[in-house]
Amino acid sequence: MLIYALRRLLGLIPVLVGVSLLVFLIPRVIGADPARVMLGERASETAYLRLRAELGLDAPLFVNTSAFADRGLPGLFDAQYPSFALGVLRGDLGRSIVSLVPVGSGLRARFPATFELAVTAMLFAVAIGVPLGVLAALRRGTLIDTGALFIALAGVSFPVFWLGILLIYAFAVNLGWLPASGRLAATLTFTPVTGFYVLDGLLSGRLDVTVDALRHLVLPGLALGSIPLAIVVRMTRSAMLEVLGQDYVRTATAKGLARAVVVRKHALRNALLPVVTVIGLSFGALLSGAILTETVFAWPGIGRWVYDAISARDYPVIQGGVLFVAFLFVLVNLAVDLSYALIDPRVQLS
Amino acid sequence: MRRPIIALFAALALGSVGAQTLVFGQSGLPVTLDTGQDGNSLLISYQVLDNLVGFAPGSVTLIPGLATAWSANDDATVWTFTLREGVAFHDGTPFDADAVKFNFDRWNDRSHPYAFAGQGKNFAAWIYIFSSFYGEEGYLLESVEVLDPTTVRFHLTSPVGFFPAMVASSYFGIHSPTAVMAGGLPYGTPSVGIVGTGPFEFVEWIDGDRVTVTRNDGYWGDVALVERIVFRGIEAPATRLAELEAGTLDIAVDLSPEDLPLVERNANLRPAFAEADLRIGYVGFHQANAPFDDVRVRQAVAHAVDLEAIVDAFYGDLGAVAAEFVPPGLIGRADLEPAAYDPERARELLAEAGFPDGFATEFWYMPVSRPYFPAPQDLAEAFVAYLSDVGIQAELRTQEWGLYLDEYTEGKFPMYMLGWSADYADPNNFIYTFFGPGEIGPAFGWTDAHAQETLRLLAAALSAGSVPEREANYAAAARIIGEQVPALPVVYPRTLNAVRDGVEGFQPSPLGSVVSFAVISKR
Repeated sequence: MLIYALRRLLGLIPVLVGVSLLVFLIPRVIGADPARVMLGERASETAYLRLRAELGLDAPLFVNTSAFADRGLPGLFDAQYPSFALGVLRGDLGRSIVSLVPVGSGLRARFPATFELAVTAMLFAVAIGVPLGVLAALRRGTLIDTGALFIALAGVSFPVFWLGILLIYAFAVNLGWLPASGRLAATLTFTPVTGFYVLDGLLSGRLDVTVDALRHLVLPGLALGSIPLAIVVRMTRSAMLEVLGQDYVRTATAKGLARAVVVRKHALRNALLPVVTVIGLSFGALLSGAILTETVFAWPGIGRWVYDAISARDYPVIQGGVLFVAFLFVLVNLAVDLSYALIDPRVQLS
Repeated sequence: MRRPIIALFAALALGSVGAQTLVFGQSGLPVTLDTGQDGNSLLISYQVLDNLVGFAPGSVTLIPGLATAWSANDDATVWTFTLREGVAFHDGTPFDADAVKFNFDRWNDRSHPYAFAGQGKNFAAWIYIFSSFYGEEGYLLESVEVLDPTTVRFHLTSPVGFFPAMVASSYFGIHSPTAVMAGGLPYGTPSVGIVGTGPFEFVEWIDGDRVTVTRNDGYWGDVALVERIVFRGIEAPATRLAELEAGTLDIAVDLSPEDLPLVERNANLRPAFAEADLRIGYVGFHQANAPFDDVRVRQAVAHAVDLEAIVDAFYGDLGAVAAEFVPPGLIGRADLEPAAYDPERARELLAEAGFPDGFATEFWYMPVSRPYFPAPQDLAEAFVAYLSDVGIQAELRTQEWGLYLDEYTEGKFPMYMLGWSADYADPNNFIYTFFGPGEIGPAFGWTDAHAQETLRLLAAALSAGSVPEREANYAAAARIIGEQVPALPVVYPRTLNAVRDGVEGFQPSPLGSVVSFAVISKR
């Protein structure tokens, strides 16, 4: 298993190289540039050209032939992509063109927010979705089955933005039970440690911070969780149905084992494989950020950050952000694959 | 036992100097606090920094700031400022003429060691106001001279009568030279913050989360009434309003105009807006696209659209119909009337121009909400409906915002929506921005004799010796523009803000970010 994992990790490299090329080229090819967006309505041609030059946007993209003529080989790679690629290898993702904040700092500030939200959303999706899917499978064809599928469909059909506002108005404005937006109450003075506020509260001995952070996670978690909920319900239901039809389940029932035991010990365990896949992939997708949820709930995650960077053509942030997300996604995929061996001893990772 | 009780009574007695936190909701957190160019950045830096010249609350009337007096030489090329004595930055550095020089040199001179020009720090706002950087074509600020610790002199390359209004602009808050030098390139980013002389001191900026400032008890002016302000960035206006309704925000700015009735109905909330915002939304024509090169066609469009109805429907109390490019509150207006809604006249003009059956064209709108057009698509649809009534079949088009900004100056859009928010309170910042030599051709394709005359009048206004002379020139230019319609002014919008009951003293400014929070109190 270790060798398998190592081989997969090596496979990360070509993936990241490919992503880095795409993430470098595409924003530069779609037109407009950071200078244009920064100046906005105020761009006189002179101001625009001047800013472009200052931001180094006129530098060659891949190879610098004129610098090569002057300085030989070192000059050849004095171009935008090589600088970026070499920077990544050194661990330096550059600085945002717009704010001058190092991209690494930006990621460190926002990834914990995205992670906490993704975990909460998946927890809701799994805690509601798996039991619902199992129930639907066990009561197949009944109203319960239809009800479960309907809930799943509704979850994925409601626009997250609309659902978010609805939750905010219901629980924050009208009932006042939960906070409306953000990660922590504005009146709470607190210095983050790791950026994972739920954890930081415990680390700093501030239980009030942990509780407040959890309260802030509920509504966005519910809103965001509505999306993977659908797929978790359906996948659990199908997997359960498939397994329940297997011979060994009938054998176990015939042997006299209680239904609950059969379901739990035999059926569910085997049905888990596809469900875990789906949970893993959904979680990976959530880690790439949830732009709409982040917008409605003023949640400072990666999604909104990279989206705004795209609009502003903030190349370093786009590059660093997407590269990071690609890296995470590959890792999550690997974790999902490795988990198969743990769940089902028959599975051979080759 | 006695001391805490005395402290308690003292606190109660002091009353107005509260130990409270004000929570302020804007549409986003700052981009940067050093050389910031957007409202979210400038509003916050304006609390921590002072300018040489300030504004009377809620207005564009200039008052002393870090400078107590100023005067110019005969031809307005040399401006001398007398500085306030006994002022220090929050880090203890004394405020003096050297500090002023350091700041202005750093902005003006791209080779200044603390301009970080080669490392990506840009100050494009300098160009908006001072035309170019030192040594480049058309640059305005020649040098800053320190006469003594409390006297500083600005030498300009050409006459500018409204120089104090320029330095009052929120772009030019004075930073502590010590802090700038110690901070280096990261100065102004979340990890460092900024240091000024203002009524509030920077405490922290948690990237993506909030900015906190605290009261400067040693402020040279009126000490702030609240102890702390926490600034939150909430992108979605609906959420911003929800937070205000829930009571977790004390003030929310930039709400959707359509939420005004909601705010008015809520007993806990009060709307707050400036007397008149210095901003304008308009529809431009690009004359490289026939038939908009014919003035009759442009005038026909002006008569085809019922601006009163449109502005009333989309802005209600929060917008006034615009008939010229200088908003109310500034000098240099010609007091024009908007073109009368007259579809008959429109059809007549079109027929005269050779289009009795109308023609097909495109109407471009932006895909993002702008302060002057919060709901561009809806407005665009209304426009197009009026145009089709007189036979002009306009196809609605839009483009990603970055590309939109790129392309409108390339003549690709026959008709397009755009707008402007003031950088400083002077007509020049409006009419010259649109119809000055840099824009008049690229943005409108307007190059005929009338355009040339307009350029001449605007240049004359810029170098005019007296205010009445400036006013006359601007007004004359406004009349030509009104007749020739190179662009159709649509609306002067007012931003909707709201405060919770109990919050007093929030006075939005026509200029947007020049609001001092020192006078805000909270029950």
